[in-house]
Amino acid sequence: MPEPEATCCQEPEVDFVVLDRIIRDEFGGRREAMIMMMQTIQRRYRYLPEQALYYLSQVLDVPITKIYEVATFYASFSLVPKGKHLLHVCTGTACHLKGSGGMVRHVAGKLGIEPGKTTPDMKFTLETVNCLGACAVSPVVVFDDKYYPQATVGQLNEFIEKVNAE
Amino acid sequence: MKIIMDGKEVAAERGQTIVEVARRNGVYIPTLCHVPALEPAAMCRLCTVELVEGRRSRLVTACNYPLRGDAEIHTDTPMLRQNRKVLIELLASRCPNSEVLKGLAERYGADLNRFPGEEDRQCIMCGLCARVCERVGGNVLALCGRGVEIRVDTSFGRLSPTCIGCASCVRICPVNAIRIEDVDGERRVIVRGKEASRVPLRTCSGCGVHFGPVIDLNPVMERAGESRVPAFNVSVCPACSRRNLARRLAERHFEQREVEPRDAGEEG
Amino acid sequence: MTTASSTAPDLAWTKKISSPQELAPYRQALIESTDPDAPRIRVCCGTGCKAVGSLDVLEAMKTAVAAAGVDVHVMPEVKRTGCHGFCSRGPLLTLEPQGLFYQRVKPEDAADIIRKTVIAGEVIPRFLYKPPGSKETIAKVSDIPFFAKQTKLVLKRVGRIDPFDIRDAIAHGAYEGLAKVLAGMTPQQVIEEIKISRLRGRGGAGFPTGIKWESCAGQPGRHYVICNGDEGDPGAFMDASVMEGDPHAVLEGMAIAAYAMGSDRGFLYVRMEYPLAVQTLAAAIRQAEDLGLIGQNILGTDFSFRTSISTGAGAFVCGESSALMSSLEGKVGRPRAKYIRSTEKGFRDSPSNLNNVETYANVPGIILHGGQWYTTFGTERSAGTKVFSLTGNVHNVGLVEVPMGTSLREIVFGIGGGIPNKKQLKAVQTGGPSGGCIPIPGKFIDINVGFGKLAEIGSMMGSGGMIVMDENTCMVEISRYFINFLVEESCGQCTPCREGLTRMRETLTRITQGEGREGDIELLEEIGQFTNSFSLCGLGTSAANPVLSTIRYFREEYDTHIRNKKCPAGVCKPLYYYEIDPEKCTGCGVCRKRCPAEAIAGEKKKPHTIHQELCIKCMECYRNCKFDSIRIM
Repeated sequence: MPEPEATCCQEPEVDFVVLDRIIRDEFGGRREAMIMMMQTIQRRYRYLPEQALYYLSQVLDVPITKIYEVATFYASFSLVPKGKHLLHVCTGTACHLKGSGGMVRHVAGKLGIEPGKTTPDMKFTLETVNCLGACAVSPVVVFDDKYYPQATVGQLNEFIEKVNAE
Repeated sequence: MKIIMDGKEVAAERGQTIVEVARRNGVYIPTLCHVPALEPAAMCRLCTVELVEGRRSRLVTACNYPLRGDAEIHTDTPMLRQNRKVLIELLASRCPNSEVLKGLAERYGADLNRFPGEEDRQCIMCGLCARVCERVGGNVLALCGRGVEIRVDTSFGRLSPTCIGCASCVRICPVNAIRIEDVDGERRVIVRGKEASRVPLRTCSGCGVHFGPVIDLNPVMERAGESRVPAFNVSVCPACSRRNLARRLAERHFEQREVEPRDAGEEG
Repeated sequence: MTTASSTAPDLAWTKKISSPQELAPYRQALIESTDPDAPRIRVCCGTGCKAVGSLDVLEAMKTAVAAAGVDVHVMPEVKRTGCHGFCSRGPLLTLEPQGLFYQRVKPEDAADIIRKTVIAGEVIPRFLYKPPGSKETIAKVSDIPFFAKQTKLVLKRVGRIDPFDIRDAIAHGAYEGLAKVLAGMTPQQVIEEIKISRLRGRGGAGFPTGIKWESCAGQPGRHYVICNGDEGDPGAFMDASVMEGDPHAVLEGMAIAAYAMGSDRGFLYVRMEYPLAVQTLAAAIRQAEDLGLIGQNILGTDFSFRTSISTGAGAFVCGESSALMSSLEGKVGRPRAKYIRSTEKGFRDSPSNLNNVETYANVPGIILHGGQWYTTFGTERSAGTKVFSLTGNVHNVGLVEVPMGTSLREIVFGIGGGIPNKKQLKAVQTGGPSGGCIPIPGKFIDINVGFGKLAEIGSMMGSGGMIVMDENTCMVEISRYFINFLVEESCGQCTPCREGLTRMRETLTRITQGEGREGDIELLEEIGQFTNSFSLCGLGTSAANPVLSTIRYFREEYDTHIRNKKCPAGVCKPLYYYEIDPEKCTGCGVCRKRCPAEAIAGEKKKPHTIHQELCIKCMECYRNCKFDSIRIM
């Protein structure tokens, strides 16, 4: 299996023992569980490292193109590292009616990035999510896995300022 | 099984697709993403026809609908023509210079400039290149992304090391967006202006010309269902190979007589 | 001192129940081991209440109970439950045996509640529900219209049981249906009962479930039973609540289906945005396996059915059945044309039965009480009940389960409590991005929910999302919102959806920005017709519905945007600005404090002004002004 060009002379950025544990032990090497393997890998590394995907291709005997298709199809996968703090703004219908669109625009402007992207200093990743199921307390924002009901732009400004002050 | 197409009864076998039946019986149904040798993908939707089974009438794509019972099919109603027109106009916005779209536009009265696009993406997203590459090639091209971001690309956008240089993608692309350049001893496959792969070409030990890509034949033969790689001389180009064979035949046939061997350059 | 629920010595928790006949005594023993008059506090821990801190309330209640100690002769049980449904009032709890309902409870209230209500038996007025526009509070759950007017079949255990404790579910009837099946029904009898019930799929398409099971059962090959838990419609959380609040209803339904079809393998496909549902389902599967209710040799019979959970990875299109199966196989979630049914060749090219969460949750009740019983609810064409998530501009945002055939008026006003802030009801949107908007002026408010009626007027019931819209909702903006959603979620393989919806989005965006042109409506209709006819899958063939239905019923609103460059609802941002009426403004300063752009200036008790160049039009001031002094210009 040819090695990916860019990393042939570098230190491995993934721990193959960890990958083996995920692929073989946790998911029994089942090709059908590939998406869940990738989710577990992403949780570990905060994104999908190329080396990990090539290794997955090797172990599961799946062409790398198929894995790359999956990595680029599903919205939750990222091929570039995410920021330290994840900001998810729910843009479901109930949240939209309560102004979540304006919130996304405001935060995007404040951080200087498009939704879906990460700030250059790798501090923040801003993403939209389609309905978390907490519609009664819209608009909902999830900041670092904590849910903020009836979130306001002011609250979001506070988080961002607090992180920047650290 | 009784199949009526555009009012005429046509010959059909159970399990055949509507397109197969149409082609056998000389009925025209437009297609863009269909090639008989590949599994139908029904992506372009151009071949949509009206199907009436019993009392139920619905729209189905002709390329992949298997006929399993009596049916009536309409391939060219005003509603179908109107929708095909819109389809062509929408495709033209991402691929304005395509000859095949121009031909279809004339047939269906489409205005190729109705939806001006920002750039010529040179692709109608028929998926044929990726499909044929998976089927016979080296699994180089993939349909990456989703929705409007969907695009044909190699893994990680880089030159692919698994290409076998077969150029099936070149031949199959309906809008001629893929080409090969054989230059400097290398075959370069260029997809929509971007290099997808480079495969070294062999050098002929006879005449020195570059010919055919250097590839690992084993996976290809495996996919073709052949168990062994046949023995053959990979260092001689087809022209020289023919010449050598002709010379050997001539020598064997005429070896009792004195015949001057012909010069290589005079080969017909 | 006895505890509210102590297990009798012979109910070893991990011992398998060894025959269908043994489940009833097991349940009986569980029921007998609990004192029905003992105090019980059920704290709602569904996703909505969790978001407002109900887990902290739960902990606080437990701590307060432990602290009360010797003052109590019967120790109250504090238990976490799934969603009670009354989501706009969380954190909330119910107290037995009085049947009290307490809303907006904070952790610091715990000690008070234990002391006054649980021990002393007093009702604390500040936690009581007050219907909008009324001065009287209502103390009992059974008296609150939101609950009283519902018919809970699917949701009967949701909010009553602890989803992490299977014994609670069993004590409340879980697996009775499965035991009845395994005690002596044939697969054909099971299918017959489902057919008699006229149950139709609850995921949106409404295909008769009995017929689907029958056709799948008749196919050769290994059968798979798959549950669609990829509830992707924005604003819908019915399936979430069932999975989070009563996972066993789903598992039991799947097991019964598996028996009917001769299947030994099942999958639950749950969207990744529902981590709590994944947790409750995983715990439920483990505990059910421990007790022999799922897995090898269920209830000691030779019927085996194993099921596992697969998560989605962020793709709405994976709610479509063929895309879901593709995703289950570890591939991209691209739908394929369904000319060969998935009941014939689906997952792994094998006969597969795919049903929605709510559909499976209906099955145990039908088996237990009979298909005939089920038809006593609902209508001729649409039997049974339906769970709706009622959201938007309505007082009582939450989960509502009513018989099919209930009118929109009853749901929005009777149960939903009507429209807040004295606004007028403008439209009700049903069916999510595949559905349409029902305009309210006129007879439509009395239309009955069900599979037929709504479709006749250009909408559809869909999976149950119901969004109430008041006069400040712009119908053009709403259709732009839905089309935008679908453009982002489209898989991209077919031309009509990928290209057609993009053009529609472009057109609608222009219109909402004041750049609409004559002919735009006709263009939207032409492309909408095209995508609805020629698309490959259900996402594409229903995508134009919100646009086409709003054009049909709210055409003047489109015209006003296009011709007059105005948005009558005051929503489309480039077309209007906000202004404070100096005669109404009391200078309270609320807007100034809330404004995130610091665009409002003014002194205390003096009229304030908005600096237009700083205003980002987020609506904070408008939404929070109690004096109605902010005007939309």
